[in-house]
Amino acid sequence: MTEMLRAPAEVKYAEELDWLESVDDGPKPFSWRLSPRMVRLFVLGSERSDGLDREIPQKWFGDRSFVERAIVTLASDRGLLLIGDPGTGKSWLAELLAAAISRNSTLVVQGTAGTTEDHIKYSWNVSMVIAKGQSRDSMIPSPIMTAMEHGVIGRFEELTRSTSDVQDALISILSEKYVSIPELDDDNIVFAQPGFSIIATANSRDRGVNDLSSALKRRFNFVRIPVVTNKKSEAEIVRFRTVELLRRHNIDLELPPTLLDILLRSFADLRAAAASAQSDDGRLESALSTAEQIGVLEDAILHSNFFGDRTLKAETLAGSLVGSLARRTPEDLAILNKYWHGVVEPRSKKEGGEWQGFLEGGRQAIATLS
Amino acid sequence: MSTFGALRRQLDDAAETFAGSPGALSEILTGMVDDVDRALGERLEIFPVCHHSPASALAMARRLRDKQPQVIYLELCEDLRPLLDELRTCRLPVALQAFATELDGFPESWGPLSVVAPITEASAEYQAIAYALDTPGVELVLVDRSSDHVFQWHPREEPGRPAEEAALHGDAVGVEIGDLRPRFAELEEHLLHHGKVRHWSEWWDQYVEQPLAGADYDTYRQVMVLIGGLFRRLRPHDAAKLDRDEDRERHMWTRMREHLAATGADPERCLYVCGAFHAASRVEEFGLDAARTDFEISPRTATNWLYGLIPSSHSAIEAQFGLAPGSVSIAAATYDKAVSRGGVKPYTLKGQQKGRRPGTKPPAAPVAVADQLSEFLSKPAQRDPLDEAELLGWCVDIVRLARRNGYLSSTADAIAVYETSILLAGMRGRARPTLYDFQDAAVTCIEKDTVPGRRDVRRLCEIMLGGDRIGEVGYQSMPPLAQDVFERLAPLGYDMTKRAVHRVLLDLNADPELEPCSHLLWVLRRLMPEHAVRPIMGSRRLGERSVQESWDVALGHHQRALIELGYEGVTVEQVLEQRLRRSVWEPKATAADALQAVEEAILFLGGRRFTDELGARAVELLAAERSVDDAPDVLRRVRRLLAHYRATEPALPEWCERFVTTGYAQYCTLLPTAFVAEDVGVRQVAAMLGFLASMESLALSLGCDRAQLELAVRQSHPETPGKIALLWAARFQLGVLTIGELRERCAELLANPLVVPSFPQYLSGFVQALEAAPVLTPFVVEVISGAFARLPDEVLLPWLPTLIQTLREEAPELVPVLIREAGRTFPATLTAVDAWVPPWTAPSGPGGAEVATATGAGAAGGPVTGLLAAHPAAADALAALLGCEGGWKTLTPAGSAPGHDASGGSPEVAALVARHPATVDAVAALLCGGAAV
Repeated sequence: MTEMLRAPAEVKYAEELDWLESVDDGPKPFSWRLSPRMVRLFVLGSERSDGLDREIPQKWFGDRSFVERAIVTLASDRGLLLIGDPGTGKSWLAELLAAAISRNSTLVVQGTAGTTEDHIKYSWNVSMVIAKGQSRDSMIPSPIMTAMEHGVIGRFEELTRSTSDVQDALISILSEKYVSIPELDDDNIVFAQPGFSIIATANSRDRGVNDLSSALKRRFNFVRIPVVTNKKSEAEIVRFRTVELLRRHNIDLELPPTLLDILLRSFADLRAAAASAQSDDGRLESALSTAEQIGVLEDAILHSNFFGDRTLKAETLAGSLVGSLARRTPEDLAILNKYWHGVVEPRSKKEGGEWQGFLEGGRQAIATLS
Repeated sequence: MSTFGALRRQLDDAAETFAGSPGALSEILTGMVDDVDRALGERLEIFPVCHHSPASALAMARRLRDKQPQVIYLELCEDLRPLLDELRTCRLPVALQAFATELDGFPESWGPLSVVAPITEASAEYQAIAYALDTPGVELVLVDRSSDHVFQWHPREEPGRPAEEAALHGDAVGVEIGDLRPRFAELEEHLLHHGKVRHWSEWWDQYVEQPLAGADYDTYRQVMVLIGGLFRRLRPHDAAKLDRDEDRERHMWTRMREHLAATGADPERCLYVCGAFHAASRVEEFGLDAARTDFEISPRTATNWLYGLIPSSHSAIEAQFGLAPGSVSIAAATYDKAVSRGGVKPYTLKGQQKGRRPGTKPPAAPVAVADQLSEFLSKPAQRDPLDEAELLGWCVDIVRLARRNGYLSSTADAIAVYETSILLAGMRGRARPTLYDFQDAAVTCIEKDTVPGRRDVRRLCEIMLGGDRIGEVGYQSMPPLAQDVFERLAPLGYDMTKRAVHRVLLDLNADPELEPCSHLLWVLRRLMPEHAVRPIMGSRRLGERSVQESWDVALGHHQRALIELGYEGVTVEQVLEQRLRRSVWEPKATAADALQAVEEAILFLGGRRFTDELGARAVELLAAERSVDDAPDVLRRVRRLLAHYRATEPALPEWCERFVTTGYAQYCTLLPTAFVAEDVGVRQVAAMLGFLASMESLALSLGCDRAQLELAVRQSHPETPGKIALLWAARFQLGVLTIGELRERCAELLANPLVVPSFPQYLSGFVQALEAAPVLTPFVVEVISGAFARLPDEVLLPWLPTLIQTLREEAPELVPVLIREAGRTFPATLTAVDAWVPPWTAPSGPGGAEVATATGAGAAGGPVTGLLAAHPAAADALAALLGCEGGWKTLTPAGSAPGHDASGGSPEVAALVARHPATVDAVAALLCGGAAV
């Protein structure tokens, strides 16, 4: 296989999935490649009590019951809608589930304001239509239609970003499980094969941009993914994702635990500040999610790797944090300035260590941006 | 070779395999089996239970029917025994309560002490209680330490109560039979993690409750003791010292041996019901045949314990014992289902039944203990097959309930919930979905992005499964006070046991017989928590009587508070009297507190004797007070009380007179110090002056001397602006300072730019002084107006907020007086403002008295003049009394009177009046009207 910047989960974990498939003796619904229990094990990792010969690492961090509910939904008649704040790992969970169940997580439709019904159903190759007329050959099936034809999981990212009429195109797909192609005289219905289902994600912050119709809501089971606030699991997630990114960039760089701790504590502080703020002006625009932390860390690592001395320093981390979070001037900068002088400064005096560098780096970054 | 030899060997092997050597692990594993061996080998049959475990309750019912024991020993505070008979009249869950306010031997800060032991229907202990109470000849003996010992054994350095909130239980210490939970957090976390469950109740349900559902008695006992032994062995080393579990076990065994020795009961016919944790006990006192030890049960303290039943609820139990929300309700539902499925008939308390006597059945020969554990531990649990009808019923019900709560759920959802429940259960390795699986499935399929109503699907599931059951204490089991309250409120025709808030309307004019009810409601309002009885309309204050009242009564909801009131007395009046008496005799009580107590005694209790007693105490407190912090409060209250007594009694009570004279002397003494002391505010000094000024005539008539006050004022040398203003006002009141001098001083202050910033404080002092010298009101208005007029904007504008703040904070009740006066002084219409001349700048003659005379001459000819002229005797007598010389002036018709007053006879004025007669007509009408009145 050619080299990929980011391999989809089924490619990345292909060997692991193969192995799981080989030892899986549980009942598998429809055409699933793994049984529900094995899917859970793939996502949440194995434990000694599972009695497997090898260890399966945990890939998604969160409550067990969310994963169980999601898997069970896919085995039932309904679609799965993962809803939550940005950066809570919805898409990652969707990808893992699709990879584990059908070994294909790439049948994705990205919901945007410009998404049309064609993106969900099918469109036509115009030149072929002119040359040969309308036929199955000149039809371009959408990822969802492809998923139906193959009996696998199709994904719909950011469902609420697409307009209501486009969303409603999913209703018949989820109910009748077929798409008719009225332009054709025969062979004009694509039936979904067993195993087909849809995993959609929606951002709870944008809810109301294009609210789902009741009819569509009814056809989805909602699983709400909360923001991770448990420090231990958050550290796990950040470390896990960062290591993966570093590997992707072929960067050999140590992630000092003290810096990870500084990052986590800063985010926890800023979240607490956002929660107690009275108005939007007192709140950073960023959702301060775990993904955002990963972004900050990645940015700092890349910066140190290419412009620094290949070690991650607190100054760089601070600069990257300010750079990523200061989106609005002057509001965000003012909040960060307040944080730096009200929290980081006393802490650097009290605890010293890396906090001092963090203080300096942050100050400089704020000064540069102001 | 003991019964469990094979199992021990197997566990030894396992320990060796996993830990590498048969060390600590082996000790724990085989130790657990030893525990089982010992507990089952005991002559006295031990029945291990776990709280809120339907399996325990069912096994208990079965065992009781089977064995028909004559004596039941129960792990419950021994002093709660008399309460158990009262359970008949209650609807469960209720809690047995021991309550103490008069402490002995405990730190005062712990009080009041309260111990609650909730009893639910789905519990093994209830089965035992119901069997014992309803079967003649059966004795129920509570053997655990008494409520007193609960606190005796409580570590002293910790506060005496747990912090958790439990709505119905208040902040009582909870005791429960069969508390079975890992004793440290890591173990519980480990069990939950590997059991793949969310909380302890679910773990218990999956790994113990369900496998034990159909188990026989031996298996049940062995498994329970095994788990008890496990938690007992896996606990921190110092736990034994802290939790006093072993002391409790010693206590229980000692009591049981004592009872057996005293009654000579046959141990074969006895049953000891205790938590599985205690069944695996290893104390030396364990067993009937244990050797005597030097364990002595310490005597109880002299704390006066009172006992009663209070209503409880599933949620209160969950909150108090840290269980997952809904777990007790789910346990109750499981129990109900098991009962309805048949197979075992549980005991219920239903009045005093004439059941058959026990003992007709010969005691079963003790059966040798067989090893049931090996099989239980090695085989997968026998689980119930899928109960399709039941699951379908749940699915349909939850959808219906969700619809009623605003969800757009339909039959399709019911189907989806059904399917999802089965899939979830399969994924979690259960053949049959548990209630927890069902709950998860319902949330997955029905819950969308928002919750449309007040309750979400998870909560709806709990409601559907029986919801939060709230107990009720029957009328007969209530303390006399609560019964008395219900009887006295009977005329209102409201079912006091209902938990809903009830609106009561009282028309006291139309139904004067409801007066006592209204009175009782006011007393309850004073004694009970805020929302128990709440007046919507009507008030009770001195000198007021409501014609109509409307109340929100929620006594059913606050049954616990009412029952706890019952611990304090037999009637609410008695409780109130005690509380008032206590409040005035507290070491920290002040004169203001005592006056408040007097006021409340008049309002709620009536009767001169008690109020006189409280009043006398108020005098004592006042005389002993060295601080004047409460002076404003004292002044307000004593004024109100004096007004009340003057209006209702022929003479003031003796204590009132003493209070006034004591207060006069006291405040005169403290006045000079208060004026200079930094920690005494202007408000306090003003209140003292107010007391001295307004009570002066009464005090003087009772023998006080005004010279005392004059001296006190002369000795006062305040330094702060507010107090200086007060002193000036006081001197004005005493006649030492004239209004002209006051005016002059204020003008000087305003003219001096160095003092101007402190002018608001002077102003605030003057405003406060109105308390003592109300005649100064026009002057204060004048000073404020002067300040507004004379100060430049740059000084005035930053001032205004301060001024408003000062007035609002320090003289809220005097502001209306000022505003009224300002309203009188300033013109009412915009046009009048132009021509308006402030009274204090109006050109006046040589003296104020002459102005008055001139005004009087101007008004000549009115009805008042007519009246005075017609009856000169009264005016003559007054003039003679005041020493006013000069005779009557001759009246001439208005307008033509010559004299020194130019304005009176000026033709311009006459012309003006003639041109605009309306004003004069209106004034005339007003004066005539006034005269008529």
